[in-house]
Amino acid sequence: MYRKQVRRRRAVLTLLVLSSFLLLTITYGQSSGGLQDGLSTVFSPLQTVADRALKPARDLVGWFDQTFEARGENDRLRDELEETRTQAVAGQEALQENAQLRKLVGLDRGPVLAASAYEPVTGRVIARSPTVWHSAVTIDVGRGDGARVDDPVIAGEGLVGQVASVQPSSSQVTLITDHASAVSAKVLPSGAQGVVRPEVGNPEDLVLDFIASARKIGVGQTVVTAGWRARDLASLFPAGLPIGEVTRASIVEQEASQQVHLRPYADLANLDLVQVLTGGSR
Amino acid sequence: MIVTPRIFARLAAIVLVGVLLQLSFFSRVALFDTSPDLLPALVVSLGLLGGAMTGAVAGFSTGLLAAALLAGPLGGASLVLLAVGYLAGLFRERFEIHSELLPPLLCLALTVVAELGFGAVELTLGVDAPISALVVRDVLLKGIYAFFLGWPLYLLLRRLLRPALVEEPRVARRRQPTVMGV
Repeated sequence: MYRKQVRRRRAVLTLLVLSSFLLLTITYGQSSGGLQDGLSTVFSPLQTVADRALKPARDLVGWFDQTFEARGENDRLRDELEETRTQAVAGQEALQENAQLRKLVGLDRGPVLAASAYEPVTGRVIARSPTVWHSAVTIDVGRGDGARVDDPVIAGEGLVGQVASVQPSSSQVTLITDHASAVSAKVLPSGAQGVVRPEVGNPEDLVLDFIASARKIGVGQTVVTAGWRARDLASLFPAGLPIGEVTRASIVEQEASQQVHLRPYADLANLDLVQVLTGGSR
Repeated sequence: MIVTPRIFARLAAIVLVGVLLQLSFFSRVALFDTSPDLLPALVVSLGLLGGAMTGAVAGFSTGLLAAALLAGPLGGASLVLLAVGYLAGLFRERFEIHSELLPPLLCLALTVVAELGFGAVELTLGVDAPISALVVRDVLLKGIYAFFLGWPLYLLLRRLLRPALVEEPRVARRRQPTVMGV
């Protein structure tokens, strides 16, 4: 009797371990397909209800956390305000100059206007991944709202990520802090281009790689999506979406490229409302 | 643990509520920039109450459900939580739980093991992005949060699963003295 029980126990354990390896092999690097679609469809209404019901509790915990951080944040914001005032004056001049140049060259679509081909659909985050190894959220915008795989997702402050999989009433979004994420970007105003990658475990820091070391990058400069297009191929993100602000630039000795660190504009740790840019031409 | 259909339903409901709570609440609050991870503590508690098989099956299901709801690769979280649940159950089968501090301490230790396991699985499969030293802080803080979450969680689950627990000591009722002739 005892030996039979031990054998049964070993068999169940072996089956579970083998199933895990099999699932990992089949689904790594891609969506889990039918199973995920089915489960998400069934559970997304429950997740929406749980999200709304638990919002006051989340806000309470958030309030405690923010109170700890508020002191340091205040000093930093004062410094940033002064810096932004200076930049705003420079920005006004640049806008005037830009308008004049546009008339001269006859451009009808600037980088920001290109984004208007997209139709933003606003949604709410209803779930989030528990580990730092996968930065993903579930939102209550789905196929029925026009969302498609690879659609860019933004928050009020800047780029958040892209849609990884879509169900009828919900979607999973891979954030720009996920280790599999890579976004082609450029630094303003120099126009130096590179690829924004995350640093796993630190959602406050992104790394802009492959910037030529000859290009001078300054702290506080803005990084936006590059939005390239070459024949039939095009970037998944439209040009000009703000990603973050340069916090550090370091040139590695004897290397042709430099690493630029930036802080994302979007508060990726506390995402609530996001917009999916649907209907883009890809 | 004696798993009747009713207890099975309770276990399934516990796993479901736990996963929903994690994805909709715990993953979305951050204390000191780290979100608590309830799932390893949940699996450890179930393993401690139900034994190695209950822990392993609960760990597998919890990992599978959480990954399926978030477009993550299936199997990785299942494998890690299966191991954690099995270890917790094995502990219960080999040793007596005398101290009330033991379940939360095991939640702390096995949550750290689980978080390192998640990282190990990802690193084995390949991570191209640089890894921040803050990952270590995240793992340790998650362990500490699991200690404080594990304490009430274990007591709650013990209450919910009491009918199925074999060695649960019954509360002795004091017998009223019988007065002869009344």
